[in-house]
Amino acid sequence: MHEVDVVVIGGGPAGMAAAISAYESGIEDVWLLERDYWVGGILPQCIHDGFGNFVFGEMLTGSEYAQRYINKLRETGVKVRPNTMVLKIDQNREITAVNPSDGLIEVKAKTIILSMGCRERTRYQVLIPGSRPAGIYTAGVIQRYINIEGLMPGKKVVILGSGDVGMIMARRLTLEGAKVKGVYEIMKTPGGLTRNVVQCLEDYNIPLHLSHTITNITGRYRVEGVTVAEVDPELRPIKETERYVPCDTVVLSVGLIPENELSKMAGVEIEEKTKGPAVDEQMQTSVPGIFACGNVVNVYDLVDDVSESAERAGKGAAASIGGKLERRKTPIRVKTGRNVNYIVPQIIRNKNLNESTRFYFRVKETEKSVRVVVSANGDKLLEKRERIVRPPEMVRINVPPDTLDKIKGDELTIDVEERKK
Amino acid sequence: MNDKNPRVIKKIQKTFAKMSFPNIEVSLEGDVVHLEGSVDSWDDVVRLGYQAGKFKGVGEVVNNVKAKGVVPKKETRQKKKLTTKIYPPKLPKKADVVVVGGGVVGCCIARELSRYNLEVVLLEKEWDVGMGASKANSAQVHTGIGEDSGTLKKELCAKSWPMYEKLTEELDVPYLRNGLLVVMTKDTFSGKMPSFVGNFLSKYLIPPFVVRKGKIVGDKPRVVKRKELLEMEPNLTPRALVGVFHPGYALVCPFRLTIALAENAIQNGAKVFLDTEVTGVLVEDKKVEGVVTNRGMIEASFVINAAGVFSDDVAAMAGAKEFTIHPRKGVILLFDKEMESYITHQVSLLKFPRDPHTKGGAVLMTVDGNINWGPSAVEIPDKNGREVSKEEIDWVFEKYSSALPNFPKSSIIKFFSGIRAPTYKEDFYIKPAKNVRGFVNVAGIQSPGLTAAPAIAELALDILREQGLEMEEKEDFNPVREGIPIFEKLSSEKKREQIEQNPLYGKIVCRCEHVTEGEIVDAIHSPLPAVTVDAVKYRTRAGSGRCQAGFCGPRVARILARELGISEEEVMQKGDGSNLFMKSKVRKRGGKHA
Repeated sequence: MHEVDVVVIGGGPAGMAAAISAYESGIEDVWLLERDYWVGGILPQCIHDGFGNFVFGEMLTGSEYAQRYINKLRETGVKVRPNTMVLKIDQNREITAVNPSDGLIEVKAKTIILSMGCRERTRYQVLIPGSRPAGIYTAGVIQRYINIEGLMPGKKVVILGSGDVGMIMARRLTLEGAKVKGVYEIMKTPGGLTRNVVQCLEDYNIPLHLSHTITNITGRYRVEGVTVAEVDPELRPIKETERYVPCDTVVLSVGLIPENELSKMAGVEIEEKTKGPAVDEQMQTSVPGIFACGNVVNVYDLVDDVSESAERAGKGAAASIGGKLERRKTPIRVKTGRNVNYIVPQIIRNKNLNESTRFYFRVKETEKSVRVVVSANGDKLLEKRERIVRPPEMVRINVPPDTLDKIKGDELTIDVEERKK
Repeated sequence: MNDKNPRVIKKIQKTFAKMSFPNIEVSLEGDVVHLEGSVDSWDDVVRLGYQAGKFKGVGEVVNNVKAKGVVPKKETRQKKKLTTKIYPPKLPKKADVVVVGGGVVGCCIARELSRYNLEVVLLEKEWDVGMGASKANSAQVHTGIGEDSGTLKKELCAKSWPMYEKLTEELDVPYLRNGLLVVMTKDTFSGKMPSFVGNFLSKYLIPPFVVRKGKIVGDKPRVVKRKELLEMEPNLTPRALVGVFHPGYALVCPFRLTIALAENAIQNGAKVFLDTEVTGVLVEDKKVEGVVTNRGMIEASFVINAAGVFSDDVAAMAGAKEFTIHPRKGVILLFDKEMESYITHQVSLLKFPRDPHTKGGAVLMTVDGNINWGPSAVEIPDKNGREVSKEEIDWVFEKYSSALPNFPKSSIIKFFSGIRAPTYKEDFYIKPAKNVRGFVNVAGIQSPGLTAAPAIAELALDILREQGLEMEEKEDFNPVREGIPIFEKLSSEKKREQIEQNPLYGKIVCRCEHVTEGEIVDAIHSPLPAVTVDAVKYRTRAGSGRCQAGFCGPRVARILARELGISEEEVMQKGDGSNLFMKSKVRKRGGKHA
């Protein structure tokens, strides 16, 4: 059994940033376990730009963004183990992993950082009926096929879901010569960022059908077509509006789920709303010594935010090994107020922090001209104006350490309030 | 046609007229009723078939009645010639016995035949065995309690279930004997009956009756009182009153069993040909002479028709259509392994009166730990009509929610359907053809066909003997077949050994089920090679987890291309036309890292 200070599970953007940050915080014994044959996670297949605006102050492609971290990683003494799959974690932070060169690996870790990312929801999870032929893919899978493997998954494509990856793939498929017949979105508003609606669909004349869904897939061996229909306000398909669209490929961009099978195995508490571990300001989970960051905690909009959360997890793991964390007498629960769906982190456990805590949250409904109010026990601590808030776009607010330390009680609330004109 | 029994014909015609179908032509050949005509709906076609089968003296029904607007679907698939490094081999010119259809029954018959010094050839039209009902069913090893006495189904099922433990051990196939709980609830008697009467019947009268049924088929059932019942299954509906536990009930992996049977047959000298469709049967002087396929002709004096849902079509090719198969679809919902411990026994709720459309079905699990619910039962005209509708998903979920009220719908990871192959007499039809010597129909196989397969095979061999096939036992028949190691289930020690022997066993390809590249490569090179992505899945479980091949899909495709020596564009999900990729100008990169 190996004994290691920090074991990071998953070498995507979160895992790389966490490993680097733990190492730079003075922990030399850091392992990074990655199941694929390279690090970078999903980034190398994201050859479009839009990454790094916050972290590097410039617009990079996903591959470039990953490379910057890979370069940094090389300067550290982090031991990267690719082709390594973690099979098991237990409450005592004992890890079983496997790879072809070392065989079965058993590690006892002082701290673990979970950074397994997320996976795509499938056709079955959103219950799209019909037959089960070849030609039904999730957006991330065809992104890998086209950008990494150099394989073309189809020629006549219907896309369900206007998540960011779905829209980006609509453009990518078009550039590779496929005909994208349309993007169908069950909600009234697009699921992804506004910039992607403009740059990926409108600029390429790809029709976006809002309040529409796929009600049937046909074809026995390969997809032959889909039936689409408009939905009513309760999202039920309206039979009379059904129409048949011939195609050979269906691409699904119907949501991402944090991948927490290992977290659950380790006994980490999972939040209902985020489908990820509840974390504190250090990104520590409910199990002492186990941290989590990136999309395993909740699906972030931007990789920059993933990296930011990972950096904090790395520092947190280092601080916890060094015994540098000062516990509050009573932890502060972070509560969702008006028009707030969920907030990360969910709890503040420590005091005398040396940097601000950034809260990320999603609203329930789109609202214009609002202010975000942070309060504790009825006292307003902080407020910030926002021109517009939308559910697909995360809102961030930084709270300085001394403001947090001032809180006497055990609650902090974030509300989104209307701005009086 | 000789109308020796015009009285039956008249009776049937009279009943049809009462049902307002006066224009259906009825004729009789031996004890087989033939129906011709046209009606408005498929349901009417099925009703007529059943009605004709009910009359005394009617052995089977050939129902050629057409429904208006229901056009038999033509296969749109184009047969492409795929030649891989390992497949296909060349078809022989002659054989002693040809088995048509590689379902569990056909494979079981081929394996039984491989005990003897015979040239045995099994022909399967798909790119893998078990691609019909054998891969999409409840996977239960029944004891026969659900079958009516006097049926061949009951007889062969009761004979087969005690054979399963040995069979699955010989063939290295997952088998789990966890027993069935037949549960009576406060809702067992619906309708007008006062609830106290219903509850009384459920608690005191029904259980001894169910116990007796179990004893008849050789099981040792016992009544389980409510308290113990809820201890055995804490998540069961609180409306449960009492149960009967049938310890003989088991589960088997139906597709791995089918594959294992085929492989063991191959190891003992039988030949299995995939992608080989029988398009004609040669008959001369009322004797079968061979079959014609898309790959050529084979001479044989004995032909077994085990073509499942297509067995009436194959019988017709031999001029031996003595029955009609009416396809009946069953939908099954499969849940995330996360829910594995939610329920540990097979559970079926008893309900009176019985709804004719919902017979069968239970809360079940796979041998791999996925809970599954179903199947439903719907008559359909299309033998390939495996589409699943929203209504069917909801119906199955609602129905079994009554057993497990708090089960989350969000844990569905897959839904699928299989097509049963019943005749209108709803019993197995295992007989030599009346007018074609050497041609044996093994048809009408539906539940409990998976369980009964070993006894069905024995019966089929008896018939072949009667038909004049000489069988001389082989001295070196080996009943033992070793499967591919399942890495996830090995002990740590064995895992280490396995990786040392073959480092590919240290490379996880399927993240959900922890399937290694070693298992996948071994599956591709097994006695019956896995040529498609689905064939790899059925042998190794790669792609059958919660992400449904999102992660391993690209990797499995690469490994298949590499091992088969084909291009990625030739890689198929399940057969011709199901290719995963299309030719394009996308520049090829990578490729080294499957």
